[in-house]
Amino acid sequence: MTTLTTVEILAYAFASAFFLGNLFSPHPAAAKAGRVALALGVLAQIVDIGARCLAAQNPVSSTPEAVAFVGFLVASGYLLATLRYHLTAAGAFAVPAALILLLLGRGVPAEPDAPRMGALGRTHVFLATLGVAVFALAAVLAVLYLVQERRLKRKQFGRAFDLSTDEAPLALLDRLALRCVSVGFPIFTVALVTGAVWIGRLGGVSSAEAHRPEYFFAMAAWLAFGVLLVARLGAGWQGRRAAWLTLGGFGGTLLVLIAYILRYAA
Amino acid sequence: MPGGIDFLVMGLSHRTAPLAVRERLAVAPEQMSGAIQQLGSLPEVREVAVLSTCNRVEVYAVSPDLDAAIVALQRDFAARAGTTEAELTPHLYVRVDVEAVHHLFRVASSLDSLMVGEPQILGQVKQAHDSALAARAVGPVLGACFSGAFRIARRIRRETEIARNSVSISSVAIEYARRIFDGFEGRTVLLIGAGKMADLAGRALGGQGARLLVTNRTPARADELARRVGGTTVPFEGLEGALVDADIVISSTGARQPILTRELLLRIRKRRRGRPLFLVDIAVPRDVEPGCGDISGIFVVDIDDLQKLANEHREERRGEADRAEVMVEQEVARFLEAYRGRRVGPVITALRSRVLDLARGEAERGLLRELAHLAERDRQAVLGIAEAIAKKVLHGPQVALKKGGADAVEGAALIAAVQRLFELPVGEEHPRGAGMDSNQGEDANGAPEAARPPQSAQGVGVAPSLDAAEAAEVAATASGGHVAGVVGNLLSRQGGKP
Repeated sequence: MTTLTTVEILAYAFASAFFLGNLFSPHPAAAKAGRVALALGVLAQIVDIGARCLAAQNPVSSTPEAVAFVGFLVASGYLLATLRYHLTAAGAFAVPAALILLLLGRGVPAEPDAPRMGALGRTHVFLATLGVAVFALAAVLAVLYLVQERRLKRKQFGRAFDLSTDEAPLALLDRLALRCVSVGFPIFTVALVTGAVWIGRLGGVSSAEAHRPEYFFAMAAWLAFGVLLVARLGAGWQGRRAAWLTLGGFGGTLLVLIAYILRYAA
Repeated sequence: MPGGIDFLVMGLSHRTAPLAVRERLAVAPEQMSGAIQQLGSLPEVREVAVLSTCNRVEVYAVSPDLDAAIVALQRDFAARAGTTEAELTPHLYVRVDVEAVHHLFRVASSLDSLMVGEPQILGQVKQAHDSALAARAVGPVLGACFSGAFRIARRIRRETEIARNSVSISSVAIEYARRIFDGFEGRTVLLIGAGKMADLAGRALGGQGARLLVTNRTPARADELARRVGGTTVPFEGLEGALVDADIVISSTGARQPILTRELLLRIRKRRRGRPLFLVDIAVPRDVEPGCGDISGIFVVDIDDLQKLANEHREERRGEADRAEVMVEQEVARFLEAYRGRRVGPVITALRSRVLDLARGEAERGLLRELAHLAERDRQAVLGIAEAIAKKVLHGPQVALKKGGADAVEGAALIAAVQRLFELPVGEEHPRGAGMDSNQGEDANGAPEAARPPQSAQGVGVAPSLDAAEAAEVAATASGGHVAGVVGNLLSRQGGKP
């Protein structure tokens, strides 16, 4: 493990600790420290990704690289969102998620299989990675929505959800989650299409490969997000049901990632 | 420490009973007079007042037999709540004697409120006192206790910071709404019923760009509120349609049954297409049927929730509340001292009058007969000797009464003994409403003494043969010289039942 990787893992770990701590005992200083640590981690990972690109290990060169890249996108996406919205509580979900993805990606030794991939393969992996990262942000917002809603309904306002703290309202969480899904869905759709075309070019799917679980999970996730978008934009779905469906869809994409990681490790 | 005050409070509050129980016992303003009359007609109850707010329902009563009164009131409470005594009793609290006085003082001072320091409670206690006064149910003991309560409440508001930084429930409701909605611009707020809070919250939300709809069973009241807050009136029959449009509903009607039922909310939820609806229910009894908060997309807060939330902001006032508690203790001690003094005072007055009259009478009779030959100077000397002997005789009993008066049991025994030994009149009847107010010319509402209803301005003379100045002197002496201005308010424990 390189020094840079160690730095980014430590920075994400510190940021996670600060954000989780802030959730249980809110303090502006903890939130600020969390953001600084996170920014440091994101910066380290940018440099790390650059260095890896020079070593022919770009984010789309292998599954572990792609998984670590999803972690980077979640972390940087969250960091950018905090510049505009009060989303400190979401940090307790987003940053640990980024840390886990980073650990997964860097934990498995990356052996570039780039020669087999080609431009289409790389496009597919890049778009799929981007789509999953955006869905992950939507899922973080959905979790936060469900937690906040539950607390509001039960009138539990201690800690980070105290009325005196300045956290994003439910309507904003709901709207941002919708925006993430609206952006992520077309990206994910194109990723699926390029994936299908790429496999076709490689000679199609053998009968043994046709039952791979990741294909099923990917289609299920795509369907869930598709239904969600139609229900939200068409029938005006909001709130809890939308949040659960977002989590369902993201669960599907997560299973795809896990299936890939397991296959790669094997 | 027993104080010998035949005073009790029975009730339930936010501390002991959930809103669901309290709302069953709440007494609406228009029912208050009937409730007081009915409670006053209980044979065990001599004086009575009822305090009914959204946080508490309490009966303050004076009774010569406190145990019997407690039993009777418990039965009455259960009947009112439409339940059994066994079911209601765990929610009820009873305080008697000094404890009851202490409780009333704390309640009036807003120390027992869910939102400590909230300003409404004093007005509500005054209202309870006025309603009882109007129903001629206030006698000397109740009058004295309430006067004491108003005094300490005013003192605490004046001398502590307890009421500063008080978080109003309307501001908490708005904060809660901020957790749901992303700003109020373009949101629709529906005000059902016309309360002060609906008015305040309506104005605040209207000021932030919300559209206000107002509805009421009485169209004129809806129009009036709509005019005040700059909203639009919706006929009460159009409630369902307005609920579909609304984002926030503030309901404060006096309806005895919920007007926003589960069935109605489930029906409108479909038409709202998942938009969240925030219901602020500040009515007691509640306007929103219990359990509606479980419906997806519908958020309900009631008065208890809002006050609990407001309370979370009051930590900084904790020190002030502690100071206020100490002041209440002091005031209760002062009150007791004055009360006991007033109890012993009339007996001392009667005793002095009896012995001095006897001595003077006997000396004058002798001067008319056997000593008729004496010169004027010698006559005065004889009268002086008779009076001096009488005063020497009086000294012991007087001191014993003053000292013994501090203890309820010993005081009562001494009073009974003195009354019997010296053949003093027992059980002076005095008209209802004869207060022992030491407010010195100002009543609970700050009105001059002369402006009070006649029944509260009457004095009680236990010893008619004494003049006012002497009575005042005796009373002041008896209470350790602490309470002045009790002339005409001498109190005997045997108050008259109306």
